[in-house]
Amino acid sequence: MEATGVVTRVGSSVRVSRGEGIQLAVIAALLVFVLVGLPQLLSLFWIDTSTSAVVYAVAALGVGLLVGRVGMVSLGQVAVLALGAWVGAKFCLSTSLPYPIVLLMSGLITMVLGVLIGLPALRVSGLYLALVTLMLAGAITVVLTVTNFPNGGKGFLGYDENYPGTIRRPSIATSDPAFFRYSVIVAVVMFALVVWHLRSKPGRAWAAIRQSEPAALTAGVNVTLYKMWAFALASFVTGVAGGLLGSGAGKLYTFQFPTSQSVILFAVVLMGGIYTVWGAVLAGVLLWVLPALFTIWGIDSQLPTILFGIGVLQVLTTAPAGIAYQFPRDMAKLGKLLYRLVRRFTPSASGAS
Amino acid sequence: MPSWSSFQPFIPIGLALGGVYALSGVGMVVLYRATGVLNLAYGAIGAMGAMISWSMINNAGVPQGWAYVVAILTGGFLTLLYGTIFGSVLAARDPLVKAVATLGFALILLGVMTLLWSNSNITRSITFSTDESTAFTLSAVSVSWTQVLAFAFGLLVAVGATIFLRVTKIGTAMRALADDREITATLGVPVRRVEAAAWFGSGLIAGISGLLLADLDTLDPSTLTFLVIFTVAAALIARLRSITLTFVAAVVIGLVDNLVTPINSITNYRDMTPFVLAIIALLFFARGRQYSFARGGIR
Repeated sequence: MEATGVVTRVGSSVRVSRGEGIQLAVIAALLVFVLVGLPQLLSLFWIDTSTSAVVYAVAALGVGLLVGRVGMVSLGQVAVLALGAWVGAKFCLSTSLPYPIVLLMSGLITMVLGVLIGLPALRVSGLYLALVTLMLAGAITVVLTVTNFPNGGKGFLGYDENYPGTIRRPSIATSDPAFFRYSVIVAVVMFALVVWHLRSKPGRAWAAIRQSEPAALTAGVNVTLYKMWAFALASFVTGVAGGLLGSGAGKLYTFQFPTSQSVILFAVVLMGGIYTVWGAVLAGVLLWVLPALFTIWGIDSQLPTILFGIGVLQVLTTAPAGIAYQFPRDMAKLGKLLYRLVRRFTPSASGAS
Repeated sequence: MPSWSSFQPFIPIGLALGGVYALSGVGMVVLYRATGVLNLAYGAIGAMGAMISWSMINNAGVPQGWAYVVAILTGGFLTLLYGTIFGSVLAARDPLVKAVATLGFALILLGVMTLLWSNSNITRSITFSTDESTAFTLSAVSVSWTQVLAFAFGLLVAVGATIFLRVTKIGTAMRALADDREITATLGVPVRRVEAAAWFGSGLIAGISGLLLADLDTLDPSTLTFLVIFTVAAALIARLRSITLTFVAAVVIGLVDNLVTPINSITNYRDMTPFVLAIIALLFFARGRQYSFARGGIR
């Protein structure tokens, strides 16, 4: 029953409809607000939080692509993000390449590494893939604990505990609000890249694979190629996001990427919704804005972890499409209910007058 | 390469930890075979029990023995609680969904633990009275009773579970459930009750292994929660089926993880052992196979 609902939704997203124009207009308006209005309204604390939310929304996009579109559960995407952050930091500190090239390099190298590591994992699917990626997350954390992140030290690893090196930002976006805008634009490019994939041949191949691997194979879909493609694309966008992460913070530490963070990212992606890219935006907000709000309100910052856990159970048992799907429909229902209530009372009111 | 004598002390440590991984691995595999749920919250459940018993000993002055009993029962009842609520709700779903749902439970437990025991400045530890008592000495390496106990528990539960599944009535019912839940129910097996027994039993094992790991490794909610990776690796190598293979794989993982400690070049990377061994095993199993038609995705 759920599966058919998914099919129709995927089907309708492929067609170009009248609603699409409205959607594009809403996106454009939202973007203008985020780029122009938001940095004016927010304090520095909230701008930094929003930058993190934007970066993690891109990582969430990668998770959503793998889980929602191809049906591959990856529990190690924060480890991939850390990989991208490492490469980005390395390039920022030891080269003077233009910043967009640095981002491109961290995306490409993370993509290659991700595919190399994921290659054996692609041989298995379902539960086994989830378990392998969970172990992978643990393993990458182990490596990062030893190597640390580059901070301008000597050698290939570029780490020196006495060295105060800061990871540079693009020259056009050195201030926090400017870097926030820069991150938003990079994120929009990444989202566009993924949406473009979803609407063309790979997207259709992924949808076929998710429904049934044998059926996709029979229909002539190169299952291995498209699975690897999805893995590569997810690693690429996550790598680019990682590159942004280092420049946003200036310094990177291993403790920022614990294994638990991978699981939490997966949880918020499920909560946000895996069948639409808006779910990824929501996931970024849930992951960063919610804990920040709780800290300001003086509520323990561990509470979100508990909420995310409850959210996972709730999504899996009652609302498989997540908030991005559920919320507008619930609101529409509420709107209809209110409308009916209003209509019921309006005629009697007009009759009385 | 360091000399043999520098490896020696790590053999009992490796065997003891391997025994605990085997213990929880067997608990995990038995539950998976009976209910189709791979409980990834296993580490978190064990950690919760261990944290509670630490509080009872250090804040309430409860005798150690009783606190440990409470820890083990906590594991049993927490698992049973989850199983009764979500086990039946998700019964018809894909094994992947069931496993991911337990991650949600793990996050809840992890959050609650970090909330309750928020002061990270205190070094917490669980120390059994058997830690210091030497069981025997093998060529200048003394082996403590705790280490003997840990390995023995692992062996005992592995053998016990094998016999239990093969001989007893409820064990046969569990094996039947593993094959087909609906048909088993039609045959008149009280499915819910058998599943509840599996949840409770594996929860008790989670409690025991949580305590042992808290003593042998460290008492920290996050570390203990993600030590489940070692257990998962062992279960994965056994293809989530064979209890014997789970035991062997767990002991090998425990041994390798600790035996590489004296080798300077890789000592820092030793905790990658479960991942590396599991990947090798998976590649070995998947050799020559083009596609695996396991159902994927969240359904």
